Order: sequence, then structure tokens, then C-alpha cells
Amino acid sequence: MTPRIAYLRARLAGIEGQSYYEILRVPSSSCGADVKAAFHEFALACHPDQYVNDEPDAAVAATELFKRGVEAYKVLKSAAWRSQYDEGLLRGQLRFTPGRVEIAAPAIAIRTLEEIATTPHAKQLAKKAERLISSGRLEEARVALVTALQEDYENDELKERLQLLYAALALEPP
Amino acid sequence: MGVAVGIDLGTTNTVVGVVRDGRAVTLADEGGRRLIPSVVSFHPTGKVLVGEPAKERRIIDPVNTICSIKRLIGRTWGTEEVQRARLALPFELVEGPKQGLAVVARGEAYMLPEISAFVLRRAKAVAEAALGQPVDRAVITVPASFNDLQRAATKLAGKLAGLEVLRILNEPTAAALAYGHTSGRSERIAVYDLGGGTFDITLLDLSGEVFEVLATAGDTALGGDDVDQLIADRMAEYLLESHRVDPRSDPSARALLKGRAELLKIALSTKDAATIELSDVVRGEGGAHVNVGFSLGRAELERLASPLVERTLDTCRGSIETIGLTPKELERVILVGGSTRMPLVVRRVEAYFGKAATARVNPDEVVALGAAIQAASLSRIGSARSAFPQPLRSPSSTSVPVHSPDFQAELQSPRSSPLSPPSESEKTPAGRPRPRVSESPSSRIPASTSSVSVAPPGSSKPVGESLRDLYAARLTSAEPHSTRFGVTLPPRPSPLLIDVTPISLGVETAGGFCDFLIEANTPVPCDRTRVFLTASDGQTTVVVKVAQGESDRFAENTYLGDLFLSDLTPAARGEVAVAVTFEIDVDGILNVRARDEASGRETTARLQMLGVQSEVGDLRSMLDRFNHPELRQ
Repeated sequence: MTPRIAYLRARLAGIEGQSYYEILRVPSSSCGADVKAAFHEFALACHPDQYVNDEPDAAVAATELFKRGVEAYKVLKSAAWRSQYDEGLLRGQLRFTPGRVEIAAPAIAIRTLEEIATTPHAKQLAKKAERLISSGRLEEARVALVTALQEDYENDELKERLQLLYAALALEPP
Repeated sequence: MGVAVGIDLGTTNTVVGVVRDGRAVTLADEGGRRLIPSVVSFHPTGKVLVGEPAKERRIIDPVNTICSIKRLIGRTWGTEEVQRARLALPFELVEGPKQGLAVVARGEAYMLPEISAFVLRRAKAVAEAALGQPVDRAVITVPASFNDLQRAATKLAGKLAGLEVLRILNEPTAAALAYGHTSGRSERIAVYDLGGGTFDITLLDLSGEVFEVLATAGDTALGGDDVDQLIADRMAEYLLESHRVDPRSDPSARALLKGRAELLKIALSTKDAATIELSDVVRGEGGAHVNVGFSLGRAELERLASPLVERTLDTCRGSIETIGLTPKELERVILVGGSTRMPLVVRRVEAYFGKAATARVNPDEVVALGAAIQAASLSRIGSARSAFPQPLRSPSSTSVPVHSPDFQAELQSPRSSPLSPPSESEKTPAGRPRPRVSESPSSRIPASTSSVSVAPPGSSKPVGESLRDLYAARLTSAEPHSTRFGVTLPPRPSPLLIDVTPISLGVETAGGFCDFLIEANTPVPCDRTRVFLTASDGQTTVVVKVAQGESDRFAENTYLGDLFLSDLTPAARGEVAVAVTFEIDVDGILNVRARDEASGRETTARLQMLGVQSEVGDLRSMLDRFNHPELRQ
């Protein structure tokens, strides 16, 4: 491991415990111009394009680091976001847009194929298709779903799901 | 490894550039032309013509001559732009797989990246012939406002053309790079880029070694083509009125009018009035020759084009507001793109920004020059070092039977296959290929080949060095001073570019709303993680719709495709939480990865983007066909 990649890894390792100010290495009292200058310094050290001549791992590490720097910069350069962030920081929240946003998480309602199917035999086939999909056997799932639709032929929702499967398989629907 | 070039893949013309001996230059073909028309024509003999010979066929064979497709690449079948283009373009457009687009020529359907690949392959061949070296890597430019699908399609075109795409670079950013700093201090500039089919406004902050894009916006369906169309429509109305013929019903006549309209527009950039011959467009009674000319004054042209120019200024206004500045606060305005040659454009832009605009570098070539600089900067130095002309040795060139007069003649023909090695006639007496390189107005940039090298692994400075030292470690034998536009630049190949994503990225939520994950003008690469919860018991798959745009209503944005999360652990509703990380990479292209929150393991996340041939099978069949002997140029 070269010193350059070691440097990046060391910076990356500490990042989870750092505030945006610490990531960009700028005092929390700094003005907008200071934040910009700090981001530029940060970019010169951590932008993946600065590592085109290093081993590929270096650019990968730099990318991870740089993305976090962008997150910090976006918040600190906006006066409104920065004051909100500062409030959160007092309570120990290091990230403005944390990885976990469970409360606001959009729940995508997707009924299972078995729920959608209306006849007992179609339900059975649909359940099989569902299982096949989750194990990545999309082609077999498609066959099962087509068979289910032969019996449950007026079920538009089931047809729609078959269309999705065709899309996932990159096939033209019949 | 071969040379890395910069390619400006334009709506109308394509230009290829390279950095040689520390200068960015554009490269000319065997006829000395530096603009390769972005036109592909499928000849009845099965040959595929690209560039100038293809452009000539626009009139005689409009249905098999494909042009202006940059406006369509990466768009989906159902969009308004595509349906409008179907009416306006003489060749046939059909729906391709995954709602993509294909063109039909001589009974064969081609996906749009394939058409662009023909143009890129021609650009590659022009560069190889000019440099006498193989070209295998490229920075390809796109309008700054291109979305994910348009960028991905362009990148695919590059791959099909046999190029490793080092970067998809935004055109205005490339132009800024070609212009560089004009003062030692930091400055904020605007790049106004009006090309054949697209408009972009990009605001940058140039300070020291960093060029930071502050904001970018544009219209991927607005350009000089639209002005030509307006003039062509006027011509058609005139012919209908005066000679009772409607040339719009005939594809050939339509193409002819569009070409004449362009010539008239160009003439009116330097003259107050101009007349153009239209005698070949109409026929009198029994096919008799009729003398017809069409005259237009500059004032009238400006009246026609004015609404289009106002649209560009509206976009500028919006963009400048987002960064909280006024137009007067921008220290410089750079004009890029052939359409900025129109006096009306210059006048309106200067009035809006309250200062004289800069257009020192040829607006047709400046983007390719910037791309070349970025290509030099992104290519690994070990390979760039060999960027001096080497005689190209290939089996075919060494096995040429010199006693065969026919073969000799073919080699000397200027129209010999662009992929063939440089012919004997192009070589200097010393046996080295004479580089067919034209100096562009661009001035000297520091030599990336001779002045920059990287510290070999293991010999670098110890960990803990200052940022500045770390950065400087790239430059071990720096040439202290080089000038560019007469200004001393720091000894590095080019500034570090920090570009942004032009459009907000979001996913569909309940009620048809768009939940934004990454806002427009966020520097790239960047990412954002969202947690998705299952909504029903035992649910093992989740489908998330992804779009780019600025509207709260999902349907009003550009629908990109679906994210399929599968293989989830069956559990009660709401108990499965999948953390999905949406990343926009340095090319402005979306990537995703997903992790099961409970187990921490990676789960299957697959993006199915509309019209994008990303599957291995798709690519292979396209490549097979593309490299089919009959389709080779």
C-alpha cells in the first residue's frame, strides 16, 4: 500500500465520527468564502481525478471520501441548512441527512403475486413465481406467471406484474 | 496503450482534439477539415458513409441518411420531443426495446448509440490518421443538461466505437477548461453554449487549481437547428404562395430547404441581407426549370430567432438566481457553439450580462480542445509519455506487396479506409508519418507529457504530509512556467474540475409525488442513501420508480426507469428495511447499491433504465453487428 492510499484510507476511517467541519477541516466559525476554500483544498486532496496514476483502489477510496465532502459542503455553504445543522450538531448529530430516514421512508406498496391472483391454482403458481423471483430465477418465474394467467386471464394487475417481469428480463412482451 | 483524445460529439459536427507537446490542438481529416459532420448514410452498396460524404447524401438519399440524432439519443419513444422529431426528420424512427428509439435505414433498425458510434469511430480514425498512432481512450463531451439516459447512451456509443470512455464531460465545462484563467485571482464566469441542437448555461468559479461548477442549466432541444427550421418554414410558405408547391411534402426538398436555410443564416451573420437560390427545389409545368430565389434581411431573421434567444436568457436568469448572484457579478461571459456567431445572440447576451462577451477561441472547436486537455489530464501518465509520433506498424502495412500498383493506388487515395494505417503518401521522407495536426487558436498549456510524472509507488512522502504536499507529489519534475493566452499557469496539466449534476434525482412516493434524493447542482461524484420499508407481509421484492426533474409531481419529471430490489428476507410488513444508496458518478450517471438494514448484507438492486442497452446480451449483439465486415466503413 502506497502512502497516498494509506493517507486516503486513514481519512476515510475517521469520517464516521467527524462533523462536517472536521471533514472539510474548517473552523465552525468560518465564513462562506472559507468554506469554499476549504472544500477546494479537500477536493485537491480527495477528488478521485487526483488519483488517476495510483492503483485503482486509491480512486475508489477517494470517491467515497469525496462524496462525504460534497455532503458536508452542500450543507455548510447554505446559510439555512448550516444553522439547522449546527442545532443538530449540539445534540450530537454529525450528519444533516443521515443514512437512516426511517420516518420519512417511502413505503412502496407491492402486493405479492399470490395476493393478486384470484383462483386457487393461479395463487399456487403465483406463489411459486414469487419464490423464483426472489431466488433470481426470472425466466422460470415468467413461465409460472404466464401459466397462472392462462387460468386467471382477466386479472389486469397480474398482467401488469408480468409486464414488469418482461422488462426485468429485457424481453419484448408478447 | 494508445493515445487519449477529446471528442466533441455535436448535433451537427464532431471535432476531435488531442494534447501534443503541451498544446491542445484539433485534428483534421485527409481533406484538411476539422469538422466532421455528425451524419451517417447507409449506401445502397452496403457501405456506411460517415461525415462529409454522408452529408452530401442528405439531399439525394434523405431516408437513409441519419443526422441530428443527438437531440434524440437517450430519449424514450413516448416523449413529445421524439414524436415531434418523427414529423420533422426525413428518416424513419421506430420504437426499440425498453421504450428506446431506433432509426431504420435500408430495412435495418439501428439503436441511436450505434449511429453515434459510427461518428465516433470516424473521429477515432481521423485522429489515428493524423497522429499516426492508435487511439483507444477518449473524453466525450455532452450538453451539461443531458440526463442520466442521454449520458449512458453516449458512453455506450463510445464503447461500441472501441474507445475506453475516460469521462463524459460537460461541454461548457470543457470550454472553460480550454479558456482557462485569464487572471491570477479567483473569478466567477458564465459559459453560454448555443450549439446546433442544445443550449447550456454554466456558471463556474475559477480559483487556483480548482474549477468549480456552481450551477448549470439548459435545454437539450434548442439550438441553431431550430433557427434553420424557422427559415426553412418561411421558404416553404414563400414557395407555396408564389409557385403553389409545398416542398414540405417531399423529404428531399425538405432536406434541401433546411440546408439552404442554414447557408442563408450563416450569410446573415456577416451581411444585412442575402438571397439564396431555390431553383432546384421547385419544378414548373412539365418539369420545366423555374428561376426562384429567396431573400431575407438580417432584421427579419432576428425577428424570427428572437423568441429562441429569449428562451436561452430565461434559462440564464433561473440559473444565476439559484446561486444568489446577479448577471453583472459574473466577471466574464464565454460564448461557445456555432450559433453564437449570430450577431443577435452576441448582442442579447452582452446586454443581459452587461459586459463584452469573449469568443476568442473558435466556438466550433473550443469544446474539443477542452476535452483534449481533460483527456490528457485523466490518462495515466505512463502511457501519455509515449505521445510522440511512432510509425504505426501493423501487419497490413508491412505485408503490402509494393509491386502491386493497384494496392498502391488505393493506399494513396485520400478516401482510403479511415481505419487503415497511414498510407505511404502521408509519410515524410524519414519514414515517419507526418502529423496532420492543425494548430488551433488555443495557446500553450503546460506539457503533460514531459513536465508531469507521478512519484513511483513506495517512494512517496510519508503519511501525514500536508494536503498541498500530497497534491504536489503528482508533480515531481514540473516545468515551472508555461504560458496560455500570455498568462503564467501553475505547473500542472490542467485544473481539477469539480462538475455538478444538472438535474435533481428523485423516486416516486405514495400519491404520485417525487421524493428528491440528490438536488440539481450537487457536485459529482455524490450519493444519498434512503431506507425503503416493505409494505406488505412476506414481501420479497420492491420496485422503485426513478426520475430526473424539478417537479414535485413524479409524472412531470423525466422517467428514467425502475429500481428492482429483490431477494429480501420475508418478514412482516415494515420490518424489512433496505438502505438504497443512489450514487451519481463523475460522468453524471446513476448507480445504485442496496443493503439489508437488519443483516447488513448487500441485497440485489438492479436498475432497469429505459432504452438503455445495458445487458451483456444486448451489448454483445450490438457489437457483433457493429463489427460485421459489411458494416465497416
